[in-house]
Amino acid sequence: MSVGIAEAKRERSERRRGFLLALPSFAYMVLFFAVPLIIVLVYSFATRTSTGSTALSDWNLDAYRKLGEPIVRNVVVRSVILALVTTVICLVVAYPFAWFCAHQRPTIRNLLLIAVMIPFWTNFLVRNYAWRILLSNGGPISSFTEAIGLGETNILFTKTAVVIGLVYAYLPFMILPLYASIDRLDRRLIEAGRDLYGSGSQTFRRIVLPLTMPGVIAGSILVFVPSMGAYVTPELLGGGKETLLGSYIVTQFLTARNWPVGASLSFVLMAVMLVSTIVYFRSGGKNL
Amino acid sequence: MNEPLGLQQQMSAAVSLRGISKLFDDVTAVDNVDLDIADGEFFALLGPSGCGKTTTLRMIAGLELPSAGSLQIFGEEVGSLPPNKRPVNTVFQNYALFPHMSVADNVAFGLRMRKVPKSEISTRVQEAISLVRMTGMEGRRPNQLSGGQQQRVALARALVNRPKVLLLDEPLAALDLKLRQEMQFELKQLQREVGITFVFVTHDQEEALALSDRIGVMNDGRLLQVGTPEEMYDAPVDRFVADFIGRSNFLKGVLESSDVVCLSNGQRINVPVVATVAVGDDVQVSLRPERVMICQLDAAPSGVAKLSGVVDTETFLGNSVVYRVALDWMTIEVETDHRPDVARHAVGEQVDVWWRDDAVAVVKP
Repeated sequence: MSVGIAEAKRERSERRRGFLLALPSFAYMVLFFAVPLIIVLVYSFATRTSTGSTALSDWNLDAYRKLGEPIVRNVVVRSVILALVTTVICLVVAYPFAWFCAHQRPTIRNLLLIAVMIPFWTNFLVRNYAWRILLSNGGPISSFTEAIGLGETNILFTKTAVVIGLVYAYLPFMILPLYASIDRLDRRLIEAGRDLYGSGSQTFRRIVLPLTMPGVIAGSILVFVPSMGAYVTPELLGGGKETLLGSYIVTQFLTARNWPVGASLSFVLMAVMLVSTIVYFRSGGKNL
Repeated sequence: MNEPLGLQQQMSAAVSLRGISKLFDDVTAVDNVDLDIADGEFFALLGPSGCGKTTTLRMIAGLELPSAGSLQIFGEEVGSLPPNKRPVNTVFQNYALFPHMSVADNVAFGLRMRKVPKSEISTRVQEAISLVRMTGMEGRRPNQLSGGQQQRVALARALVNRPKVLLLDEPLAALDLKLRQEMQFELKQLQREVGITFVFVTHDQEEALALSDRIGVMNDGRLLQVGTPEEMYDAPVDRFVADFIGRSNFLKGVLESSDVVCLSNGQRINVPVVATVAVGDDVQVSLRPERVMICQLDAAPSGVAKLSGVVDTETFLGNSVVYRVALDWMTIEVETDHRPDVARHAVGEQVDVWWRDDAVAVVKP
């Protein structure tokens, strides 16, 4: 009996210690993520006054109704397509590279993975400006294509430039989870697939791809989500010619001074991403 | 089946290796192996880890390509074909079952890859699953099965394709002792039932002796000897083979004529006629502990090879007693039955050890 009590006591004190250790990060998340999110949510139900300020009264759903309008819908569709294209290109480029990494000797593998992360040592804005120079009319890439007889390339301030910039920015987020799941793949399963009359591509489709799917999905989420809301790259490399979600939200807050619409759009975007991520991790848990 | 065995082997070797070598970078894993495995045979490749036995099996499977030599399966050259183009299937060590598929899907995989009609797939999968006594488990995932069950699924997954040769890579190594013995028995029975040539790799000499029709012993990439379990035990030609299969004493000497060895203490003994070593070469005489007799000094029968020494240690093993008898030039291990009518010898006692001329095998040192 007394042993049971002592045990329960210790369990309780251990749980308390765990809670204390988690407290700083917990407090940080509440303060800088949950609270602002609630503020955004509150503002999305507010009213925009005729002077452009926001009245925290007359709660209504006008801001959400506005999201159904064609202008917003076009922005969303454009952003989704751009994010999808970026994600697919990242996936196609990253998969072979991650595969190659996972099949190297440890030293080479580590060097390759460090190389993947080196760009992060430089500021994101600086890297975007670097791309601006690379892609500019008469810049290095244009001069190169001209020199080999393909003529000038005027990529800067096009969708292509934006995709190039986004792929460049988010490729590591695709490579790392892919690498992790390919590295975990038991290579004898591939041999078993081949031994059981599977061709190379059949074995890839039936064995390798399903077993590395957690990496594919995790990488896709990590690329798709920030691509959807990207602001800096479309502005700097796309010249802000086509309004995307990120810049639309910024406009709503700063130029149109329509905080409720900016807030509602931010909140919906966040909610969709959050729910799809949770759904993935819930279903992914079963397969592993 | 009714053909004479020699002819059958010649006509339809299931697997035929000629001068097969495999180099990894500069390391020779398999060195110039010649081997014929007959149709319907249960063949064991036996050797310590790193001897090249698994690499040899993987070359037959097509998972490694030979660096040199010719590899035929039922007369067809397959050395450069990918695994999916060869009429063989493998039971992998640790089974390599597909974790994201059910038992039934695992078993059906090979048939699906070969585009066998759906209705035929389901009957054949059912047959294979019942052959390995896994009926009722079709919907389970591999991680819901015990080691022995996974082993059975791996067998079914391979056998359902009706391969011409089934390759097994240490199929029982991952199981605990009791289950291993059960599965040995099942494997042997299964092979008789399906009549397919089984080639299996093992480092366990008892497993090889118990299961196989013939054994090939490998060491350092070379195939040292091929023969029936009895031949391998009674007449090893290489010291490594004699030492790896069972226990043995090795007496150094020189082959003086085809049936006489001069031991290094100067004593001459008669041996079974030796064809594998040239006269005048250094040899070792392999003498199994249970084939050496021990008796009181000068009590050995006349006309047999004998040596005198002193009992150094005596170890009781239940069904037998093992003596180590110190001669002035070496120590000999003798194993006697433990029975009331067999006299025991004390440590320090002067004894003779003796054996019949046909009890020994002359091996390459």
